[in-house]
Amino acid sequence: MLASIRNATKIYGQHKALNNVSFELAEGEVHCLVGENGAGKSTLTKILSGAITPESGSIVINGAEYKGLTPRQAIELGVSTVYQEAELIESLTVADNIFLGDERRARFPLVVDARLQNAEARDLIRSLHLNLREDVVVESLSAAQKQMLQIVKAFYRDAKIIIMDEPTSSLGLEETNSLMGLIRDLKGKGIGIIYISHYLEEIFEIGDTITILKDGESMGTVPIGQIDMDTVIHKMVGRDASLFYTKEEMTPGPVQVELRHLGRHGVVEDVSFEVREGEIFGIGGLVGSGRSELLSLIFGADRRDSGEILIGGRPVRVRSPHDAVAAGICLITEDRKKLAMFAPRSVTENIAIVHNERYEPPVLNLARERRRVRGMVERLSIAVTDQDTQTISELSGGNQQKAVIGRWLLSDARLYIFDEPTKGVDVGARSEIFRLMVELAKAGKSIIMVSSDMPELISMSDRIGVMREGRLTHVLDRHGITEEKLIKYFIGV
Amino acid sequence: MQRTGAIFREQWFFLLLVEAALAIVTGLMNPRFFGLNNIENILEQVSVLGLVAAGATLLMISGNFDISVGANIGISACVMAILMKAGYGYVPSVIVGILLATFNAFFVGASSILFKAPSFIISLACIGIFRGIALAFTKGVLQLIYGKFEFLGTKRFFNIIPLLFVISIAGYLIIHFILKYMKLGRRAFAIGSNVQASYLAGIPINLNKLVFFIINGLLVGTAATLLLSRIGAAQPSTGSGIELQAIGAVVIGGTPMTGGRGKIIGTFFGVLLTGIISNALNMLQVNPYFQDVAIGALIIVSLAVSAFSQRGQRA
Repeated sequence: MLASIRNATKIYGQHKALNNVSFELAEGEVHCLVGENGAGKSTLTKILSGAITPESGSIVINGAEYKGLTPRQAIELGVSTVYQEAELIESLTVADNIFLGDERRARFPLVVDARLQNAEARDLIRSLHLNLREDVVVESLSAAQKQMLQIVKAFYRDAKIIIMDEPTSSLGLEETNSLMGLIRDLKGKGIGIIYISHYLEEIFEIGDTITILKDGESMGTVPIGQIDMDTVIHKMVGRDASLFYTKEEMTPGPVQVELRHLGRHGVVEDVSFEVREGEIFGIGGLVGSGRSELLSLIFGADRRDSGEILIGGRPVRVRSPHDAVAAGICLITEDRKKLAMFAPRSVTENIAIVHNERYEPPVLNLARERRRVRGMVERLSIAVTDQDTQTISELSGGNQQKAVIGRWLLSDARLYIFDEPTKGVDVGARSEIFRLMVELAKAGKSIIMVSSDMPELISMSDRIGVMREGRLTHVLDRHGITEEKLIKYFIGV
Repeated sequence: MQRTGAIFREQWFFLLLVEAALAIVTGLMNPRFFGLNNIENILEQVSVLGLVAAGATLLMISGNFDISVGANIGISACVMAILMKAGYGYVPSVIVGILLATFNAFFVGASSILFKAPSFIISLACIGIFRGIALAFTKGVLQLIYGKFEFLGTKRFFNIIPLLFVISIAGYLIIHFILKYMKLGRRAFAIGSNVQASYLAGIPINLNKLVFFIINGLLVGTAATLLLSRIGAAQPSTGSGIELQAIGAVVIGGTPMTGGRGKIIGTFFGVLLTGIISNALNMLQVNPYFQDVAIGALIIVSLAVSAFSQRGQRA
């Protein structure tokens, strides 16, 4: 046995990211981890790579037990993680990257023997049957080649355990196939591989064992031959009804927003759908399916190559967020710290900004602004001591999110776009945000919501659009949709 | 957080205390410090710097820098002086000079937008351009206008308050009004604290950046006018170094280099402090070279103060 984790529990705040999970990895085994976003896959691998320390449980690597494993210890023990975003120095060559920090010295001090490095790198690459030149600069490599290079690098550093987190999410079919070949090679050399992927076909092709995680708990570890895809999917999803929000039934009004043939080369292709007044249109799909990119096109944050947007039957010109705001479109972004908050500014300024931009004259009426913001703070019950002096960064995550939403409520738009509206928000604020969305819908607004949270998507949406590889592949009615069915559409089986 | 404690958390309040202490100590050691003449002298000295620092405050809050303002003052003052020497009245000369300064600042802002380069670097390049052009058309000769344009620099209201200082205060007030009461000010804070979020909130980033630079240019042009009137002569190096003094005063006043925060009142007391320190060192007959050392040390100390006070707030 290469490594095992026994009864690991990891708690963040009040949330159990992992609950009493055990896991084993043998030499030459490809052990797959599956589960929805947030099921605990990454948490589990991070325990093994020393990035986090579990609250309880033990880690055994090569027969020795470790309580608090540090990242450095993990690397010395041969645990290596290959990230989606390659951790490589783009301006150096393939060989330089392999030997980085461990350069082959020439006879003179402080000089690297590039010829020796290149020769050794060439042999190493050849031994893994890869099609990769050692003397090219990394920035000229494809995403797949960069991933391979990371694996070569891990292999060169005597990795015994290689963790791959969604390695194929940005790869094409052919590239995926060559990665599968490389994994088989590594297997043959006795290396244990932990393979995380949403793509179940891959898992059934390459895996030996599968561990299914759901909401931080292990749903069982099974040899691949003894389970089929439907059972895996069933175990991944299916949850307590308590996680679902019961949204009241509403009858949407006439069509308010029409999107026709929206596209941006290589990212989003020919997406058309319409949203009625008072309708919540959910968009689901795997990470990288083009969901967020579609929202950027609708909001004008990215330029679209084709298509048009109609609001109230009239085409609107949206070439920038400024145009979008003027046309009555607003976007509540996913990453509120990076894309929405003015961290050092007061709650008042943060909430008033869009309204000021849209409706107020160049000189502001501060008293009126204060009243308007106070009304919003009360309506959303944002916990704030003094809206004029307290900065938004001093609020809790849920209150920050409410303040950011409040900014857009004051702008009185017709289409509200929510990108992961409850990400990083506690349970209480979560249901308040849901209630707010329903309130908006009741007021006749159209809502588009992207969510990775399946219960949220199913319980809030009137209809659900499924994105896969940049296309809108299905539009489903909320009635009769289950997580199981939905994830099949996401994966495309 | 209680409102009563608010004043003690303000950087300008500390500056005021330091200034009062400094004045008292210097006054005790040399009573001439409190003479009317000397006080008027201090106020005049800080007037030009004040206008430049007021503009720098607006720019720095929005996350921009213009370090070409010194060279900009040089070229604008030279043009005004040449026009006056050639017999044009001061009104057209001053208008041309201020327009030139404004155009120069616009040029810095526009280049920074067009070439997607930080305004710091663009304005660094513009120092050479402005000064070189000024050197070329003055041939490096001092442009004396002695006696032709001195009422601005010598006028005193009630024989006490220098007109220069009044104009400088007007500059502060304009920037204060923009920052506190205008949409433009909100945009400066928003852009300075988070460009991406500002863009996504529908704020036209580039247009506003240009406006900030143009306002800065107007202030710099006014500063050049005051300086010319005060000295009675101009050369290409006139005003050189003032950009760093201004940025220093802004930082001393509590506006961080990272933008998104700041108050004009802090800048006012920051400028005043640099003025008082150089005057006090003169009064105490300290080697003038040490003035630069003192101002430099002051900037570091004020950065340390804001670093510690921020750490305190987070805890």
